[in-house]
Amino acid sequence: MPEILRLAASEWADRASSLRSEGWVATDLCGLDRLGLVGDGARFEVVVQLLHMETRRRLTVHVAAEGDPPTVPSAIGVWPAVDFPEREAYDLVGIHFDGHPNLRRIMMPDEWEGHPLRKDYGVGKVPVEFRPQPFLQIDAPGQATTSVHAAREVDHLGQPVPGDDTPARRESNWSRSGAAEGEAQE
Amino acid sequence: MTIEAERIVERFEQGGHGAFVESFDAREERMTINMGPVHPATHGVLRLLLELEGETVVRCEPIIGYLHTGMEKECEDQNWRGATTIVTRMDYLAPFFNELVYSLAVEELLECDVPPRGQYIRMLLCELNRLSSHMVWFGTQGLDMGAMSAMFYGFREREMILDFFEMVTGLRMNHQFIHPGGVWEDLPDGWDDALERILDVLPGRIAEYEDLLSYNPVFLERTKGVGVISRDEVLALAASGPIARAAGVDWDVRRDMPYDAYGELEFDVPVEDAGDVYARYQVRMVEMRESLRLLRQIADRMPDGDHKNMDPKLSPPPRPELNRSMEAVIHHFKLMTQGYTVPAGEAYRVVESPRGELGCYVVSDGGTSPYRVHVRDPSFVNLQSLPVMVEEGMIADLIASIASIDPVLGGVDR
Repeated sequence: MPEILRLAASEWADRASSLRSEGWVATDLCGLDRLGLVGDGARFEVVVQLLHMETRRRLTVHVAAEGDPPTVPSAIGVWPAVDFPEREAYDLVGIHFDGHPNLRRIMMPDEWEGHPLRKDYGVGKVPVEFRPQPFLQIDAPGQATTSVHAAREVDHLGQPVPGDDTPARRESNWSRSGAAEGEAQE
Repeated sequence: MTIEAERIVERFEQGGHGAFVESFDAREERMTINMGPVHPATHGVLRLLLELEGETVVRCEPIIGYLHTGMEKECEDQNWRGATTIVTRMDYLAPFFNELVYSLAVEELLECDVPPRGQYIRMLLCELNRLSSHMVWFGTQGLDMGAMSAMFYGFREREMILDFFEMVTGLRMNHQFIHPGGVWEDLPDGWDDALERILDVLPGRIAEYEDLLSYNPVFLERTKGVGVISRDEVLALAASGPIARAAGVDWDVRRDMPYDAYGELEFDVPVEDAGDVYARYQVRMVEMRESLRLLRQIADRMPDGDHKNMDPKLSPPPRPELNRSMEAVIHHFKLMTQGYTVPAGEAYRVVESPRGELGCYVVSDGGTSPYRVHVRDPSFVNLQSLPVMVEEGMIADLIASIASIDPVLGGVDR
């Protein structure tokens, strides 16, 4: 069975140093969103996997991340190995690591909003990155949009010309991305 | 003519070529360039931000995420069985290891056993996969050092192994073959002859590899003393696998914390002290020979019996049962539509993949799909040691170092 240690964020910095002096090596770190899991405690946790090579043991440390944004002291001064994993936990779960010198997004684009591995960031609620081109759209099965009309409604960048769209056209072009953006903001 | 060009011509007129070279101090001109994300020597879509003084790398920052497809999130959308189809795509050169580590973690939560034959089939496939993955590394390491033929040699033998995988699993990559509870199907008839052929041929082929590169003066010149990382740096950066063993860290999960039936088999773990590219080369070459040794033992000892845990709540019944038993139909229907539930809890398991420690952290809320799946990919963590290896070195040595880390960007970005 795994050995599990649960800590508050305030205990983590001291405890990490003492764990390292005992010979533990941090091999992995990830963020965990406990929304919906039974049991009380903080919603966000940082889960650190430690390895003791001499005794061949593994230890899982849960550090509760309180506050908004959830914050935990960074362990990068103790184990430099957690540099990338902490950035990943920041990027995907939105946990802030106090004292990390380079806390930037690592997987997602820099300008991305939201943290995809949070439980309230649902699959399919993402705004569409690339809008469908109007002249490629098919309104109904078997019935192709006339490319001449559609081509007139977009400018040279492929953006619709304002004021020149019927309600039906507007719906077919924008409903998907518009609805998705509305959902994401909720 | 541009101003710079005019200045160069002026300098030439003043004192000729020698005077120009003397007056030009490369160290004054620091240059920041991007290497990648689309560059043949970065093994995928890895982007390196380099600060150069002449040809010397002053600072190197790996920038990743170009292959990020949110696989950990996608796993939460699958049932427990379906998530193997996602994890197998992470490190695409070593798909069996991804499936194995995920299955081990889920089995720990399920508290279910794997029959001996299932364990041996897993080890058989994983050791073959280690060979095929190291062959790709051999080819690309040689190619990056200018040895084109290494690529042809490595891929020739890899084909043999992939043919074996196709025979066993039906697919050459992304097999979805190792499942919680065992493996999906038993080995097909004739597997032992096919394996014999591989085991007959490969020792000679690995000797050919050694002839190609191990004593090649150009290769030695470009790899010895290049990309050095010390034992302390390896431990601080949690680098694992051949990188750690080439720097004197005597650690192999198969031997030190055995999973499956590795405890029953005999093999040596190669350790070198130099910590340079050549040491990592030597470690991987010995690992390929050790894998052959393991395969020989696995083939000789392959036990009879079930290949998976036959608990009807976990594994679908054999096809003939569906014609006879109503219960089998019900179990099959429940497993294929809803899937099995896994008791609430968390588990972390580690296996030794060709690139190092591959870990999987699984959280269950008691439902039919994973609550959270996190994969500790060795390439992702090992990539942090790249700046340590290459800074203060030449840009040509950077290429050697990347190849010796052997990153798979599908695993790095997940």
